[in-house]
Amino acid sequence: MEDIVCNGCSLLCDDIVAEVGKGDVKSLGLCLLGFTHLDIALKHGIPSSFDDVLNDAAEVLSSADNILLYGFSSVSNEAIKEGLALSKTLGGNIDSAASLGLNQAMAHGIHSSKLDVDLEYVRNNGEFIIYWGSDPAESVHRHPSRFAVLPRGDKIPEGVESRTIGVVDVRVTETMKMANHRMIIPVGKDVEFIDSITGELEGKSSITSPVLGIPAAEVIGLVSGFKKSDCTVIFYGSGVLNSGKSKENLEAIARLIGAIKKTGKEAYALPMYPESNLMGVVNTFKDKSSSFQKIIAGEFDTVLVVGDDPLTSLPGPVARALAKSKIVYVGPPGGVTDKRADVSIHTTDLIIQGSESMTRLDQVEVGFKPWKGGSKSIATSDVLKRLHELVKK
Amino acid sequence: MRPTGDYGDSALKLNPMEMYNLLPKTNCRLCEPKTCMAFATKLALGDVKPEDCPPLLEEGFEKNLETLREMVAPMQSAEATGIKLDESRCTGCGNCVVVCPVDVAAEPDTAIGKAGKSGDTVFRVENGISKIINLEKCRRFPPDKLNCRVCEQYCCTDAIEIW
Repeated sequence: MEDIVCNGCSLLCDDIVAEVGKGDVKSLGLCLLGFTHLDIALKHGIPSSFDDVLNDAAEVLSSADNILLYGFSSVSNEAIKEGLALSKTLGGNIDSAASLGLNQAMAHGIHSSKLDVDLEYVRNNGEFIIYWGSDPAESVHRHPSRFAVLPRGDKIPEGVESRTIGVVDVRVTETMKMANHRMIIPVGKDVEFIDSITGELEGKSSITSPVLGIPAAEVIGLVSGFKKSDCTVIFYGSGVLNSGKSKENLEAIARLIGAIKKTGKEAYALPMYPESNLMGVVNTFKDKSSSFQKIIAGEFDTVLVVGDDPLTSLPGPVARALAKSKIVYVGPPGGVTDKRADVSIHTTDLIIQGSESMTRLDQVEVGFKPWKGGSKSIATSDVLKRLHELVKK
Repeated sequence: MRPTGDYGDSALKLNPMEMYNLLPKTNCRLCEPKTCMAFATKLALGDVKPEDCPPLLEEGFEKNLETLREMVAPMQSAEATGIKLDESRCTGCGNCVVVCPVDVAAEPDTAIGKAGKSGDTVFRVENGISKIINLEKCRRFPPDKLNCRVCEQYCCTDAIEIW
């Protein structure tokens, strides 16, 4: 068994091992999502070459009137930089799934583009962990066991017994099974709920009756958690960012963080999302403006999709509009966008490639490790570099 | 700190109220928990036995004692219990690996959340699914014979069942 790094989700687990046998793969430590990702990547195989389609792709890109480069959420940091350089040469727009919420979150004053702590800090110090509008049991499986809930740390000597766990969501989630505080709030009422608990925490108001249907005693119990814990960490997910009030929700969370800090305790917020290298995109693309309205307006006649499947992941009107453009796809095989593309150049998934790097959801860069499973590979960054050379001519 | 509330409390397989109704309900304070309700809760968790209630051993409570003994029989001895892992529900999250005190002692890296790889632990995630690789090391079994249920408690998908 060899050390490998998994890019099945944004956790980029680097504590796992795998070996490739005759037609199968064995692993230790990979969650089901990661193992399935590795198994599929291996089954796809390595393309023999891409020279035959490279010229076709370059021709499509060069003849575009108005081009969009989209994706990059599951390719390496190196490929993202190549893509950015290519977009400048082509004079095109560049965008990613980060426009669906993470860009706004990272640009917000709650972070100002830089997270205050990383996951190791949370493991070592996080006493009160709250999953707000996020459900790691479904999306980022190892988040609780690897960093946030169960493991021991410097100031968390007994692991989960030293922590208090809270989950706030609009429905019952599997993550709630681990929680001491389970708050189910109506859709769109995050700000109202946060303001109630912030008011109670600051002593500006007193909770004496149910808040959004939640008994007063339970809400006061949650507030006590903030007061008792030396370090609170709120992991917010798409429930906060994609419920139509992301700016208001983030501002409310920022107010809560500020109120906790005023009591002399530490408090932090960190985003949660499943895409493996969305943070690499956020760190690299300076222009964070969304191109979704332009896509719907039909402004792009050509789209270069890199390492993503926007025809399945974008909102319906955007995906439908994008499907009308000429599509060049560069990335691992599979997916609706690859199938629909006019030209596809298949590359090796990073979990096989075993080189270059991605950025974890806490902005920590993780380098991929070479292993026998990746002895032969076609890197997305190399293809983008070759395309760039061709379009420059 | 154990999760509270009545959402999926699989730690309590038996109903304490049903057991309370079979107790003398005198709060005589002769037992360690001191009240009948507290005794019923501990009985449901397997932390005490029916015989730990002195009035239950007296004349007139034979039927109650017998019923209570039948109810708690699966929990009384660790040899009579097992751990069932439903692989179709498992997501390989590793909660069971990291929370198991035996795993942490056998492979210290699991204490800080890292994947178990040594082969010495009770649980190990193999090919995306958790497997019980050393059931005999579980502290429910001799020599410890403890009523530990933490793996079941922290399995979010209810893949683990202790019976």
